[in-house]
Amino acid sequence: MKHSLKQFSLVLALLAVAVSVAAQDRPTILTGAELTRVIPTGFYFQGLSAPTQMRNAAAARFGTDRYVLSGLVDTSGYSADVRAKYVGFLITDSAITLNGEPLPAGAYGFGFATEGKLTVMDLAGKDLLSVPVTSDKELKRPRPLTMSADPGGVRLYNGKEYVVIAAK
Amino acid sequence: MFVLCSFFVPNTAQAQTGGASTGTPATYTSRRTAGITDPNAPVIFEDVTDKTPLANFRHRSGEAAKDYIFETPSGGVAIFDYDADGRPDVYLVNGSTSAALRGKEKAPRAALYRNLGNWKFEDVTDKAGVANERWGFSVAVGDYNNDGRPDMFVGNFGVSRLYRNNGDGTFTDVAEKSGVARKGWSTGASWGDYDADGRLDLFVPGYVQIDLGNLPPNPTAAGKSGSVGQNFCQFRGVAVMCGPRGLPGEGDTLYHQKPDGTFEDVSIKAGVNDPEKYFGFSSAFVHVNDDKLLDLIVVNDSTPKQLYINKGDGTFEEIGYPSGVALNENGREQAGMGLAIGDYDNDGRIDFHITNFSDDSNVLYHNDGDDNFTDVTFQAGLGEVSIPFLGWGTSFLDFDNDGWLDLFVVNGHVYPAVDAHQWGTSYAQQALLFRNTKGKFERVGAPQGNALANAWPGRGLAVGDLDGDGRLDLVINNLDAKPAVLRNAGATTGHWLGLRLVGDVAKKVPRDAIGSVVYLTTGSVRQRQDVVSGAVFCSQNDMRLHFGLGAATKVDKLEIKWSNGSTESFDIPKVDTVITITQGKGH
Repeated sequence: MKHSLKQFSLVLALLAVAVSVAAQDRPTILTGAELTRVIPTGFYFQGLSAPTQMRNAAAARFGTDRYVLSGLVDTSGYSADVRAKYVGFLITDSAITLNGEPLPAGAYGFGFATEGKLTVMDLAGKDLLSVPVTSDKELKRPRPLTMSADPGGVRLYNGKEYVVIAAK
Repeated sequence: MFVLCSFFVPNTAQAQTGGASTGTPATYTSRRTAGITDPNAPVIFEDVTDKTPLANFRHRSGEAAKDYIFETPSGGVAIFDYDADGRPDVYLVNGSTSAALRGKEKAPRAALYRNLGNWKFEDVTDKAGVANERWGFSVAVGDYNNDGRPDMFVGNFGVSRLYRNNGDGTFTDVAEKSGVARKGWSTGASWGDYDADGRLDLFVPGYVQIDLGNLPPNPTAAGKSGSVGQNFCQFRGVAVMCGPRGLPGEGDTLYHQKPDGTFEDVSIKAGVNDPEKYFGFSSAFVHVNDDKLLDLIVVNDSTPKQLYINKGDGTFEEIGYPSGVALNENGREQAGMGLAIGDYDNDGRIDFHITNFSDDSNVLYHNDGDDNFTDVTFQAGLGEVSIPFLGWGTSFLDFDNDGWLDLFVVNGHVYPAVDAHQWGTSYAQQALLFRNTKGKFERVGAPQGNALANAWPGRGLAVGDLDGDGRLDLVINNLDAKPAVLRNAGATTGHWLGLRLVGDVAKKVPRDAIGSVVYLTTGSVRQRQDVVSGAVFCSQNDMRLHFGLGAATKVDKLEIKWSNGSTESFDIPKVDTVITITQGKGH
């Protein structure tokens, strides 16, 4: 009986450690002061700097100190329904995947070069990665750019379309 | 069937047109915003501008190159009966020039035209003293001192004016004395009694902060030696004026009227000061829900729209995002310009139509009740057709008196450069008229040579029955051009009823009844119309309400919900006329 209890306690302890590790790895969506503390107010891309639309910026923390930031920037004077090649930035301080495609740590521009795909570019505007977006038709009240939790990491939404970001 | 002057073929293969802002817009082999006619279309509006002295008015706003954003959005127009003779008059706002601001040339003048009847007008600007001679953008009418004479707030780039109507054909600018001499860039203002004390208050959106001593880069200098970098001030790869995005926005102002007739700035206390400094263009006090409190909508350019619900304690709660009004159905911010307010589907709730930039559709928000709105633009038939147009003034109006609110939209681009490229759009653009058939809209074609076939650099729009024939007419203020006066010449057979409401100040309802709502029933159709100040785009419709009755020759029921929430019902003895109804007394 004593032996069984010891074994049960050990299993519980191992489970607790596993849950704790999983909780640490589960990304946290930043809000409020935490968010404004990490989002840059402007972004350099292809020889030009543009202000960040702070209302359309989001960030997630993976583990204790790994961050992924994204925001739309003021790349044009007026809002219009044009699928622009460059609309915002993606900054990650560690390697991540976008829909399973690897992306090393760095600062990137992103946009929508072709319908249904999100393209990530280096700061010189060179295409690095293009991944298909998923349309979330059930999403109510979409916003220009948000992050939300996903079983595989975090979803980076642009309106109703999203890609999944995961820590590598 | 529309006849295109030449073929248009979208060509998305030329995807990257240069400039970081451009992306993959389509190119076209012809314009889609001018020269679109239909030989089988009926004549609805006749352009009678040149038969009136309004043809002598020339709007001017900066230089033709449009190097700076403050040269592009002026100006508004008002239809209102300033002399109480029963005939609605016309006020046209004018812009200005940098040289005029420096005192180097004579400033352009706004103009007031007294309606003499039978399409005769008299220019009474000098006598009335309302030339403004500042860089004007907007006009909002309201009888702020409850003396029975409509006054005007004129929103300027610079110091705004409050023209008090003296009742003898003259006005006096009392903005400084009254505390509403707003500085900065004031756009589409609205009067409304948000605290139900019987005195009108004033909301004024702010657009962009401009420092004339430190102007942003301009396209004329782009690429020249020593010029400032054009940065992201490009459209499809071509250098254009900067803004609004990338320039600092300006907050909004709510002026509360005190018992002594002066105003205090309560923007922060009320929670409507716009701390994000969105680019405000249009606003209106209106009853969004069924309570007794007047709410407020603000249309912002290229930033989220704001919907403020009145909490009844002198403050508002902003619900733009949760209500669905801040963005379009795809969660995208749009370049909100003008605002039409009306119950287009006769369900008893107020809906919004908002105009946007080219390469984007205008947007129609259906009011679902409980402070929820749904973007129904494409389902209602207003989506695809509006995409190449850059919209400004928009107004619901029942042009054919069938009992359903139709829609008129004034258009015109901000970049002169669009005429040098095949982008499917143009600087001067045709207006759009949509017929409402039980909640679905269809564009009304333009016979060749007709008013609807004309292309204008349109901005402001005002609606009113200028000739008293029971059909609604229009005045459009065109950028750097003469206005357009459109007489409704449609072959309508529908009956109609005009209503002028007079509130009882003793019951804490403003005398001009702004904020009051009329429900009119004929047979199974119950229409709603609101007395609104402002909206459209920096403009003012005649505040007399106009109901089309279709074949009905009598009104079955007329209910008025006065701005303080009290209700009254009235018998209407006859139709096809204008009736004045006084609160508590009838007609």
